[in-house]
Amino acid sequence: MPAKLTGRPLIEVRQLKHIYRSGGEALKGIALTIDAGEMIAVVGRNGAGKTTLTKHFNGLLRPTTGTVLLDGQDTAKLPVAQLARTVGYVFQNPDHQIFHERLFDEIAFGPRNLGLRGDELTTRVDSALKAVDLTDYRDRDPGELSRGQRKRAALASVLAMETAVIILDEPTSGQDYQESEQIMAILQELNRRGHTIIFITHDMELVQEHACRVLLIDDGKLVIDSPPRELFRQEQALTSAGLRLPPTAELEQRLAAFGIHSDAGTVEALAASIARRSSQITARDSFKENCSGGAAACQ
Amino acid sequence: MPSITIENLTFSYPDCSSPALYEVNLTIEAGEFIVITGATGAGKSTLLRCINGVIPHFQPGTLQGNVWLDRATPSGRVPVARVSAPQLARFIGSVFDDPEGQIVSPIVEEEIAFGLENTGVDPAQMDDRIAKALADCGISHLRHRATSSLSGGQKQRVAIAAVLALAPKILVLDEPTSELDPDGTEAVLKVLFELNKNHGITIIIAEQKVTLLAPLCDRLVLLEKGRIALQGPPRKVFMHPYIFAKLGVELPAPARLAHALVQAGVLPPLDSPDAPPIPLTVEEAFTLSRQLL
Ligand SMILES: Nc1ncnc2c1ncn2[C@@H]1O[C@H](COP(=O)(O)OP(=O)(O)OP(=O)(O)O)[C@@H](O)[C@H]1O
Ligand SMILES: Nc1ncnc2c1ncn2[C@@H]1O[C@H](COP(=O)(O)OP(=O)(O)O)[C@@H](O)[C@H]1O
Ligand SMILES: [Mg+2]
Ligand SMILES: [Mg+2]
Repeated sequence: MPAKLTGRPLIEVRQLKHIYRSGGEALKGIALTIDAGEMIAVVGRNGAGKTTLTKHFNGLLRPTTGTVLLDGQDTAKLPVAQLARTVGYVFQNPDHQIFHERLFDEIAFGPRNLGLRGDELTTRVDSALKAVDLTDYRDRDPGELSRGQRKRAALASVLAMETAVIILDEPTSGQDYQESEQIMAILQELNRRGHTIIFITHDMELVQEHACRVLLIDDGKLVIDSPPRELFRQEQALTSAGLRLPPTAELEQRLAAFGIHSDAGTVEALAASIARRSSQITARDSFKENCSGGAAACQ
Repeated sequence: MPSITIENLTFSYPDCSSPALYEVNLTIEAGEFIVITGATGAGKSTLLRCINGVIPHFQPGTLQGNVWLDRATPSGRVPVARVSAPQLARFIGSVFDDPEGQIVSPIVEEEIAFGLENTGVDPAQMDDRIAKALADCGISHLRHRATSSLSGGQKQRVAIAAVLALAPKILVLDEPTSELDPDGTEAVLKVLFELNKNHGITIIIAEQKVTLLAPLCDRLVLLEKGRIALQGPPRKVFMHPYIFAKLGVELPAPARLAHALVQAGVLPPLDSPDAPPIPLTVEEAFTLSRQLL
């Protein structure tokens, strides 16, 4: 369900502050807009305010002051049920959102609330389970799954809602390499179909490969809002916000002074560039250029 | 200080058709820094649970073979299964893969003190131990906060600090950095490395991402469906990119660069005598690249 082409931003955050009763000011005045169809990474140190910020996008938290507009409507005035139909949220801790004793029922809970029944419901649930590779566990108790599997179950329950916006709080933590790739592939595919994807992560390689825009949050403020490559050029800002360059980007930057360039951001492209350069130096035939892949999503 | 000998260890969870660990043999020397990796479900957590005694003391299932703690008692080696859980807790500290579930106290400071009190630490020393553990994990400012009000990564730091404060001889950590920011990950790994180098603490850590651990550890163990598929020092293990690919474990970027340079024809095969050692850090990968230019 691609969002309407209204010309106005899908999400608009104005001077948002959030004060927890027992934790002080977690958001200190954030302003930003998000358009339909974007794929955005939210990064920042532990306790920066990433979870707090994104929970405002679907009404899980309400602003202390300021406003959050969803498709032009003030989220403070929208019922949670209505928000949940537009914005899905996968929690950082899956155990905060898993309540049923049978996985199928867990995934079916949301779609059932949307009014789905019978075959339509079953199909929706089964395809969500298939997408996250949990078909074999369909009738099992989610409590018996490993933490990584429970996290994918939580993702499936949001996928089954087919909401226009999907927010994922650290979707790949506890997943292995292949599972992470698989999850990101699902998100990219949803994004291609018009869904707006917002994911929180500490994995800078994931940001490099999959986000078109990255929001850096520090101490409750939005510090940088830029494409990943630009963020990675500001190493100082990155490290002072508790983050690090991904290893390939760091290598690439250090080798740039020696005429090495890898636009694809992969080690293979770096190696090819090193090979070309070294053959130029030794005045031999140059190697064929072989760059591919990389942040393909951002064309 | 005890070492650990795992002999023909097979373990099945109740009602599971295939064992989670199958005929695992592994010796861990006192003072070693070992990293266990492998895809999810490969058996990393199960292996750690067999070492720290969660299996069989708390987790039911069928266990064959033995996990021996050597020199844990004056009488020589004993199986983990025959050491009581409280006694094990005196020298094995564990961080579980669900940090939130591990936290039992309402206030951060109490969470750190809880374990210290249980192991009979001199009250005069407590304050220093608590302050040091909090500082090591970068959470001194959270000392008086309610644990329930912390962010995910802050909770994980508390769980780690609580175990570090106990100063156990063996540290068993199950994906302890899964929700830590890069700064916090670096800080925690640095503390572990120092405990290992300066105090001979044995470190056994399960992780999906081995890039940051490779330069710190003595040995990497790759699990595949409950069996050891490959093990050795990181530079040796990284010679086998196909095994990493097959097991679904990411080969760290510095090592990947070395293999890509071989592919590109500017380095000899990495197992040939004139090949350079596989780089483990960005620094080493940079130096290697520089030498080719
Ligand atoms: N329920 C709560 N009550 C009080 N304070 C809270 C609560 N949840 C979070 N905080 C505090 O608000 C700040 C921001 O927390 P938030 O969970 O948004 O951080 P985060 O960026 O998601 O961090 P992490 O990377 O560790 O998940 C932190 O200082 C945290 O301790
Ligand atoms: N508490 C449990 N009950 C039943 N099966 C389990 C339990 N914990 C793990 N398993 C199963 O044991 C195998 C190994 O899992 P685990 O040790 O958690 O692997 P890893 O930590 O490498 O992801 C998997 O097939 C998993 O489903
Ligand atoms: Mg968070
Ligand atoms: Mg595990």
